[in-house]
Order: sequence, then C-alpha cells, then structure tokens
Amino acid sequence: METFGDIREAKDILQNLMKAKKTIRMYPANNPVYIKTLEEAYERFTAFFDYKDDLTLKIKQNSIYYESEQVYHNPEKEDNLALFFFKDGLRELTFKKAMSQAELEEFLKITALDFDREVVDDDIVTLLWEKDFQNIQYVVDEAFLVEVDEEDYETKAEEKLQEKVTDVNDLMKAYADGFIEEDRKELSIVPLSDKDLQMLVKELEQDSSDKTEKLSFILFELIYQSENKNDLEDAFRFLRDTIKFSLEHGELSVILNVMKKATAIIEDPLLGESEKQYMKMLSSYMGTDEIIALLAEILDGGIEIEGTVFAELVEFLDKNAIEPMVKYLGELKTIRARRSVIDALIALGKKDIQALSKGLEDHRWYVVRNIIYILRKIGDKRATEYLLKTVRHADVRVRKEVIKALGELGGREVVQTLRECLNDPEAQIRISSAKAFGSIGSEPAKKIIIDKISEKTFKERSFDEKKEFYEVLTRWKDADVFDFLMRTLNKKSFFGRSKNYENKACAIFSLGLLGNKDAMPALYKLEESGNKLLREFSHAAIKKLEHGQ
Amino acid sequence: MVSKDEREAHKSAQEIINQLSVILRTAQIHDPGNIAVITAIDKFLSLINQLADSELGISLELIGEFFYIDGIRVRYSLEYLLNFDFLIREFKKREIGKVIFKNTIRPEDMQIFLKAFIAAGFSDTPYETMSDMTSETEGIELYILMKIREGEDVDARKVIKKIYYNAVSFSKGVMNKIKAGEKVNIRKAKRIIESMVDHILEEENLLLGMTAIKDYDEYTYHHSVNVSILTIALGQRLGLNKKVLTELGMVALFHDIGKIEIPNEVLNKSTNFTDDEWNLIKKHPVWGLKAILKLKGLDYTAIRSSIVAFEHHLNYNLSGYPSVKHYKELDFYSRIVSVVDQYDAMTSSRVYSRIPLSPDKALSIVMERAGSQLDPLMVKFFINMVGVFPIGTLVMLDSKELGLVYESDLVFPDRPRVLIIIDRNGERVSGPTVSLTEKDEMGKYYRSIVKTLDPNKYKINLAEYLL
Repeated sequence: METFGDIREAKDILQNLMKAKKTIRMYPANNPVYIKTLEEAYERFTAFFDYKDDLTLKIKQNSIYYESEQVYHNPEKEDNLALFFFKDGLRELTFKKAMSQAELEEFLKITALDFDREVVDDDIVTLLWEKDFQNIQYVVDEAFLVEVDEEDYETKAEEKLQEKVTDVNDLMKAYADGFIEEDRKELSIVPLSDKDLQMLVKELEQDSSDKTEKLSFILFELIYQSENKNDLEDAFRFLRDTIKFSLEHGELSVILNVMKKATAIIEDPLLGESEKQYMKMLSSYMGTDEIIALLAEILDGGIEIEGTVFAELVEFLDKNAIEPMVKYLGELKTIRARRSVIDALIALGKKDIQALSKGLEDHRWYVVRNIIYILRKIGDKRATEYLLKTVRHADVRVRKEVIKALGELGGREVVQTLRECLNDPEAQIRISSAKAFGSIGSEPAKKIIIDKISEKTFKERSFDEKKEFYEVLTRWKDADVFDFLMRTLNKKSFFGRSKNYENKACAIFSLGLLGNKDAMPALYKLEESGNKLLREFSHAAIKKLEHGQ
Repeated sequence: MVSKDEREAHKSAQEIINQLSVILRTAQIHDPGNIAVITAIDKFLSLINQLADSELGISLELIGEFFYIDGIRVRYSLEYLLNFDFLIREFKKREIGKVIFKNTIRPEDMQIFLKAFIAAGFSDTPYETMSDMTSETEGIELYILMKIREGEDVDARKVIKKIYYNAVSFSKGVMNKIKAGEKVNIRKAKRIIESMVDHILEEENLLLGMTAIKDYDEYTYHHSVNVSILTIALGQRLGLNKKVLTELGMVALFHDIGKIEIPNEVLNKSTNFTDDEWNLIKKHPVWGLKAILKLKGLDYTAIRSSIVAFEHHLNYNLSGYPSVKHYKELDFYSRIVSVVDQYDAMTSSRVYSRIPLSPDKALSIVMERAGSQLDPLMVKFFINMVGVFPIGTLVMLDSKELGLVYESDLVFPDRPRVLIIIDRNGERVSGPTVSLTEKDEMGKYYRSIVKTLDPNKYKINLAEYLL
C-alpha cells in the first residue's frame, strides 16, 4: 500500500512533466527557463527516490496510475499526457533511482516533440528505444502494430503449416537413407581472423561515405537503360528529389556531379532527344524558386561550403535562376552569403541582362544597389538603358552606384544624364558624376569637366567637392589639363579671394598628381606664398613631383 | 542517453572481459608462472580491483551468448569480437555461469583461478573441478551456468512466433498498400524491426529458427521477413549498433518490394520461367527502387533501401541484373543483403530454383559464389553465423539417430543443438534436443553428425518441429 506522500509526489512529478514538456519545446537548452525547468523536474524525481528505488507508471488511454492510484487524468484529446504515451502502444514507464539528469533531459526532449505536427519519422517508442536508456524502462503493447484484417494471420498461417504433416513413411525413408547415402562432405568453416576484422572495419569506415551520390549514380543508370518515357520521367523526378534532398543536407558536391552528368548527356551525340530534354528540364529545375530558396538557406546557415564547388555549380545554372536569386539576395542575413550570391549573379547575369535588370525595380534600396554593382561588374552595355532609369532613384546610395556604373559603361547615351547629375542638388551625386566622366575618359568628357570647373558658380562649391573635380581632371595627363591648371594658378580675383585660393589649392593638388615637372617653378613660388593653404598644398605637390610619391 | 561516465564504465567492462580472455589465451600457450601470463594478470587486476573493492564485488555473468557485468549487458566493438567469442566458448565448456570478484584480488588468487580453469578444461565435471580448486580463494566466487528452463523456452517461442507473424502480416500489408497506391506507415515498420532487433540480440536462435520454415504459401512476404531477420543477425555479427541494425533490417524488409509489379501468376508459377517471364522478373530491382522512392519523401533510410532494392541482384562483380553502364561497386548493405537473400531464396521452394535446396547445400553454393557473385568477407561472416549446419538441416548422427538442427552454436559451428526426430531404435520421436558439444567421461563426443539429408526430398514439415 502506497503512502499518501508517495502518491502526492507522483502526482507532482506528472504535473511537472507536463510543464517540462511545454517548456523544453519552447526554449533552447541554454535558456535559464529551460535549465530551471529541467532542474526542478529532476529534483522532484530525486525527492521521490529518497524513499523509493523506482517509479513505475501504468498508462491507460486517459489516465496514468501509480500502483493502483490514479495520479493523472485528462478526458480531452489536447495536451493529454496519458494519450500521448498510450497512442504509440506505451503501457508502462519506469524511472529508476540511478536516472541521471542527462537521461531525464533526453526523455523530456522526446516528450517535447510534437509528433502530429512535426515531420518526425519515428514514434515515441522508437525514440525511447534508440536512446537505449539505462534507467528509464518501458513496456509496450505491440498489438496495435497488426492490421485489423490480419489479426489472425498467425493462426491461419500455422493452420496451413499443420496441414502438411510429415508422412511417417517419408520420415522412415529418410532414416533408412541416412545409413546408405554417401557420407557428408565436410563444409570447412574458416574462422574469422584479425585480418577479417580489419577489413570489416575498413568497410564500415568507407560505408559512411555519401549515399545520396550513390543514388544519383543509379538514377543515371536508369536514364542510360531507359526503355520508355515513363522510365525517363521517373528518373527525372527522382533526380529532382535528390537535388532537393542534397541541398537540404548541404551536399552541394552531389548536385554538382548530377549536373555534370546531366550536361554530359545533353552533349552526348549517341543519346536520344528525350534524354536531353529531361536533362535540360533538370537544369531549369535548378533555377526554380524552390531550389534557390534552399541554396540561400545553406549559404546563410553555418554550413561550410567549398567556394570552388559553389562557383562550379553556378556555371550549371540556367538564366531562370536569376530572378529568385535577386529575390533572395535581399533576404540573406550574412555578408558571406550575399557575397556568394552577388558573385553567382555576376557569373549568371550575363545570360540574361534584362532579367537581372528587373532587380533594379526591387523596393529594397540595397538590392538595387547590389544589382547595379553586379551589372557594373558584368560590364555589358546592354545594361545601360536599365541603369539610366535608376539615376533618379530615391536613395542617394543607389544613385551614386548607378552613376559609377554608367561611367564605367560609358557611351554617348550616358553623357547627357551624367551631365545633368553634375548639377544635382546633392554634392555626393555631383562628385560621382565627375568621377564617372573620369571613368569615361573621352575628350568630350574632359571638356565637360573643364567647362564645369570654369563656370563662375563652381568656386562657390565646397572645398572638398572642388578638390574631387580637380582630381578627376588628372585622369587626362595631357597639355590641355596642364595648361588649364596653370591658368588657374595665375587667375586673379579681387572679390571672393578666399574662394579663389581654394581653386588654386585644388589646381596645385592636381598638378602634383599630374606628374609634369614643368609646374615646379610656379609651385616653388607658391611655396613662399603668404596664404597658408597655398603654401601647404604647394609643398605637398612639390614633394610628390620630386619623389614621385 | 548514455552519459560520459556510463560510456567509460562500459569501456572498462569491455576491457575487463577482454583482458580475462587475454589471460586465459596466454595461459593456454605459456606456463602460469610465465612473464607474459603474469603481465596479463597484473593488467587484469589493475582493471578489476578498482571496481571489486567492495562487499558486493563485481559480477561477470554469461547469459545466452552475452556477458553481463553487474547485471548490465556488455556490448562489444569489433576489436573485441574474437576474445569475447573465445571467453564465451571457454565459459560454456566449463559450465561457468557467473564469477564474482570480491575485495582486492591478489595475483595469487588469479594464479589459482587460472590453474583451476586449465584443469577444468580436461575434466569430465569441469564446473565441480573449478569450484573445488578455487574454493581456497576468498575473493573469487563461481556459479554454474544456468540452463534455459523448459517453460521459459516455450514462452520465448510464443513471443518470437508472434513477432515473426506480425512482421509477415505487416510485410503483406505494405505490399498490398503500395499496390493500391495507399500510404504506408513507416513508423510501424520501424517498430516491427526494432522488436526483431531486440529479440535477435536476446534470442537469436529462435528467430533464425522461424526463418528455416519454408512451407508457407505466401513466399514473398515470408522471404522479405526472413531476409530482414537474417540480415539483422548478420549485422549483429558484424558489430553494428542497434540503430544501424534497425536501418539494415528496414532496408532488407523492402529489398523485394519491386515484386509487387510482377503478376502473381508469374511469381507463383510452379514450372520454370519462360524467357519473357525471366525478363519480367529481372525488372523487379528497378521497380523496387522506384516503389521506395515514390513511397514518401527522401530520407536516408529510403535512399539506402532504394539502393539495396536496385543492387541486390547485381552481384559483387556486377555481373547480375539490372545491367549497369558506369558503376563502381555494391553498397555495403547490398553486399550483406545479397548473401542472405540468395541463401533464403535457395532454401525456399518458390522462385529462382523450383526445387528448394537443403540448408547445408545452399550454404555450400553460397561459399562457391564468394568472390564472384557474393562478397567473400560477408560470406565468411554469414557462414560463421549460421554454422556448418544451419537450422533446419536434417542430420544423421553417429548415434544412429535422425535429427533436425535446432539451434546453431556460436562457438562450435559444427556442433549445433539437434532435435531428435527418430531415435536409435528407429522410432519416430519428438525430442529430446541435444547439444552435440556434450562429451562422455572419456572426453569423446556423445553424438556427431555423419550425414546430412535433404528435408525437402522427404517432405519433412519443419514447422512441425521448429514452431
């Protein structure tokens, strides 16, 4: 007869298990709530084990009993601990005194799984079985494993067998033959040796190598041996599943090999058109949103991906991958992942500039900027018409990037837009445009910058902006620029003298960069100037020209 | 969950058993006073004295084919396999069931134990000899080997039968469901395999006995379950852990799933197949692969199952079917399943060979195929598992008795337990079951096999005897 105290403690333990079931599910293992719940649950057990060696719980559909006392009852289906155990055939659970906290934690982790909602291939009994707990034992009713219409399978099978009773005459014939038949030939058994064991160990080590790869080999065999369209259809479908599965498990090299083989089929003149068609479809599948989403997840996750494998894989992607890649580019959290996708789009974008340029319409400024960067790196002039539309983008960071890209792409069609940008209200944009003209590097571009600097209002701009413009001029290391700079040095002004000094300082700075030593006498003279700014800039320019620094 | 401490304790347990085996093996070559023996004893004492230093001591018990230390079964890794097997054999030979080491064991105690152990090996009453000789040591207690009681055996058989038929009925259900395009409960399949794994670990011979009965009408379902059982048993001999054994058992259970596509009239045909029918049969590996991959989404078990379904007739040297173009080698699981599959198919009366072979004949063919169709290493392990005379072999004994091999002996592969079905007077009987390892007072075996006969030739219904 159990004492009232035991029963109360057993009830307490079950209440606590219910609580732990929820908490363990909700919190990560390092969370204080998780740790506290686990400790509390373990304390309840240890308190019980102060007086008892084990706690055995009998499980019914809606109730749990400790000895003959009901210690848990819930008639509802939801949150029913008894039913949770009962439905998989668990009928008795025993926790032994020697149970460690680690064992209890593992047990609780199993109970915390939501078997109805989660994709769990195992039921609670399998999970308990796999854990092989030393101090948590259970009794299972296996009856529910038998299909209802097969309940008497055992009886029927046995009855059938019993029908075929051995005839006594046959038996006696066997006995008689036993005396006359040839002596048995000894089957020699070679006992297992250490060498066999070593070979086995080697086999087991090798066995851990990738099975998904092996499956993909087989699926290609199906394609090579296919007899009809159904075979091809199936192989194609399974290859698609294999690709998806490999991605989910970070096995990019498997996919790479699949794509290599698919390409080999496409290029094999001996294989039929149907095979090639399916392989092309496989290539398209690689570019679907489903696959790119998984790829993005891997890139963003902690899995180490070999750079060369990823780069090689990108080569096999079709242009349909561009759109989802652009989509996920904006969703990636890590710099490393974004870098990888940007590199992939640089490689892939060439296949369809128009598709890539659609990314310029993305609502996220940083995505647009990344796309402009990618288009810049691709350097295809077909991108110009799309880039020009982005020059008026609301975000200045985007505009700066697009102006840079337009400068690098060059061409007559960009000049007017860039020229307009030289008058933009934003200094950053004006500077970017000047630099873009520098990138274009043509004679008209030079003229545009010189004209801009020569405008009366130019001197009113900030010193930094002016310096940037003058620096752009040094892109052309010719007499025009040299003369223009020298003329600036000699320019005199009675009004706004300080602004004039700034212009001169910028010209001095550019002369230093230009590297023409004909400027030296003028610079030496200015080194003695009464204006501090001119003195300092001249000194620096002289040093540059003397030492080529 | 096994904690670090538990793992270490388990490792120590393995080392204790291993070291005891090392001592005994060394003592069979050298005199007990030899330095090699003394060193081995010292090492053993350093392991055991840490744990034995208490009132209760530490107990080493042999139950069935497994050692238990302080009531916990010691599973061993491959490196210990030979030494464990040796110790099991030597304990059985001397009828030692349990040894308890108490307090601090001295080297002198171990010397006495060793001398007793060696002497018992030559004694007609080995246990008594050992018990007498070790009585002067205070720290070592011996207990006789427990024989399985008759009642327990009957109960165990009932349970095993239930498990076996559950598995067959499940296998039938799975195949029917796949055929009908219905969903298959994989969780259930796992539970069934787990149950088989548990019982193979505990009652290997009983489950293997179930696979020897071949007179069922529904060959395919029974064959799938038989292959699963034999594969798990072989996997266990290969030292695979429980979880891997479950996966292996699942894979084996589904290896022939492609046969659902073959019309029953072909599958169950009583005459030889035509070329066209053979061509149909040869498609089942590919159909099997497809069926598994269509069953549910991919996971590692589905992948392995599909690989084995595809490869199980491909042969070790890739000479089988389906034909392959660019292929390297068979998967490890396929090499295990192929051996078992061929053996069970050969000893059955339905497909491939219209006439079933006797178990020993099938085994000799399996051996012939080692290196060509079958992996020689797996064949070697398989033969060491089933013994020279697999369960169900009809044997004539030198005692003029006719019997059926009832259980194989782990340590004496050529000396199984035999159920006598005709006694020395030529009378039909049902038992007793005798071990061929039993000897008379002169050290001569009471019974030895002189001939094997084909039970199929005499229409002997094994179920009558083995169920």
